[in-house]
Amino acid sequence: MFNTTLIILAVFIIVFLGFAVYDLAVAKKRKQVYRAKSSLTAYLMLLPAVILAFLFILLPILYSLGYAFTDYYLLKPNEINFVWFDNFKDFFEELSTKGTLYNAIKNTLVFVVGVVPLQIGLALLLSLFVNRDGVGSKIFKVCFFAPVVISLSVTSFLWLQILAPGENGLLNALLGIFGIPPHDWLKDPNTAMPCIIILSAWQGCGYQMLIFLSGLSNIRKELYEAASLDGANGWRKFWLVTWPGLRSTFVYIIITVFIGACRILTQPMLMTGYMDHTVTLSYYMYQQGYVYRWVGYSSAVALLMTIFIGAITLIQRRIFREEK
Amino acid sequence: MDKTLSKTLPNFRPKKTPAKKTVKEIIYHVVGIVLSLIFLFPIIYMIATSTKSESAYASSLGSVNMFLPDFANLGTMLDNYKNVLVNYDIWKYALNSFLYAIIVIVLNVIINGLAGYVMAKLVFPGKKLLSFLIIFLIVVPVETSIIPLYSIVKVMLGLKQQMSVIGVILPASISIFNIFLFTQFFEGIPKEYEEAARIDGANTMGVFMKVIMPLSKPIIATVAVFCFIGVWNDYLWPSMILPSADEGAWPLLPIQTALISIQSIEGITTGEIMASLIITSIPIFIIYVVAQKYIVQGFGTAGLKM
Repeated sequence: MFNTTLIILAVFIIVFLGFAVYDLAVAKKRKQVYRAKSSLTAYLMLLPAVILAFLFILLPILYSLGYAFTDYYLLKPNEINFVWFDNFKDFFEELSTKGTLYNAIKNTLVFVVGVVPLQIGLALLLSLFVNRDGVGSKIFKVCFFAPVVISLSVTSFLWLQILAPGENGLLNALLGIFGIPPHDWLKDPNTAMPCIIILSAWQGCGYQMLIFLSGLSNIRKELYEAASLDGANGWRKFWLVTWPGLRSTFVYIIITVFIGACRILTQPMLMTGYMDHTVTLSYYMYQQGYVYRWVGYSSAVALLMTIFIGAITLIQRRIFREEK
Repeated sequence: MDKTLSKTLPNFRPKKTPAKKTVKEIIYHVVGIVLSLIFLFPIIYMIATSTKSESAYASSLGSVNMFLPDFANLGTMLDNYKNVLVNYDIWKYALNSFLYAIIVIVLNVIINGLAGYVMAKLVFPGKKLLSFLIIFLIVVPVETSIIPLYSIVKVMLGLKQQMSVIGVILPASISIFNIFLFTQFFEGIPKEYEEAARIDGANTMGVFMKVIMPLSKPIIATVAVFCFIGVWNDYLWPSMILPSADEGAWPLLPIQTALISIQSIEGITTGEIMASLIITSIPIFIIYVVAQKYIVQGFGTAGLKM
């Protein structure tokens, strides 16, 4: 591993020198001069950032690409063999057995399909609701934003108590008032993912609400006045003025929420552990790579996931651009 | 224009009567209060429960008292907080997190600030490659490299436990996005400031420290706030890189990671769990209240990412 690091470093330096020489040649042609002293200072000032970025950003990306084609087992870092596409073959074989991996993909899709519309819809409605003058709306805004302040791990532990089985949990106690018997929300495969979807939307939507609000504040007031003059009612005003004005904000939000949702890990990890009915793709990847220490296989899963997320993001951008 | 005007004129509605308006206002506020309560009920429950002993909690279930603090025992209301802070050492983990956050903020501002300054103001051979790399690394989503990062850091640091602190701090000290933020900001600073300092005999580093940095307080504050929130809320990476609690890592754990260990302590009460959750959330709450301006600014610049 140390050797590959050195090779990558050498390649990086050679590529950099190549670009530098090219820059120098172009400068010479145009009769410009780089001052040696100023360039040296620039390199020195860049050095800490370049070293850290190389070690902790570039190298992991390159390694995760490379590991995906090896049988790297974390406890045997000196016996790495190149296995071509075996990891990907394993992936699809594992998928066809409908085991944990199949559930992981299913649960991730369920989560994404559930949380993206719910969270964005809630955020949009709330932002429209508080987008007016007055003390009341300001206080409401703070209330809707409050869950964002709580970290994901705190949210998970809090809802673990709310959804606790037996009569000790808040939700069961509340339902008990109406005579509904207690239920183990997180153990039941039918209710576990919906619960996680709801608590995630609750925690996150205040953030998107603020972004929508800043989008709303950029829409010119005259447009609304013009629409009123044209006799548009509230609903038509929304479709003719608000919606087109929010388009770029909306594209930004849908892509970021989608990517975030694909990566869901904290909530199932802290609330249920590694269970078939709540495991997600990120969690599967983490478990394979960190707990079972199959770094090679885990990297292959990561690579497939990155390709999938990248592809969907591109498609989303294309769709929304064309609609314009 | 004439056409639309004539068409719309009959549509002019009479202004709303004051009574109608008041009714609308009341409905708006009632709906808002109901929605706010729905949003706040888990938080209210958390605060209320944190004041209760286990028996008080059990007896409050099923009545309104679930959402009210334990007014009956005013004297013991803060016992849970005292317990988790002193007996379960939460204050130590909070201190750890503070130290991690402060070190990361300082390193982050210096390292990424220097890089941002060079990218914004200096010319040197090879600059094009670096600008391209910065844009590339911002656009490509690479959250999935945490396992390779782990293997690199683990090999790099060896097996010494004390070294793992470096593994928590260093990877958090570099952020391509922060370099980008700094570059954007520095490009907006007029050349004249620098030139004036150079005439006075300052070198590049002197210009950076004495001229650029003092002018960049807003961007430094934004970066610092987001660094703090990031470090304070991170639990996954420290839990991977620091040795686990039973290996003697308790003195090193940051608060979120310690929270996981505290949950599984035998005999911990619901009230104590809630108190520890609240203590964990208070610093972030304060940050949001105090640094609101910079967070909103961060939102604005985050939009540039697209």
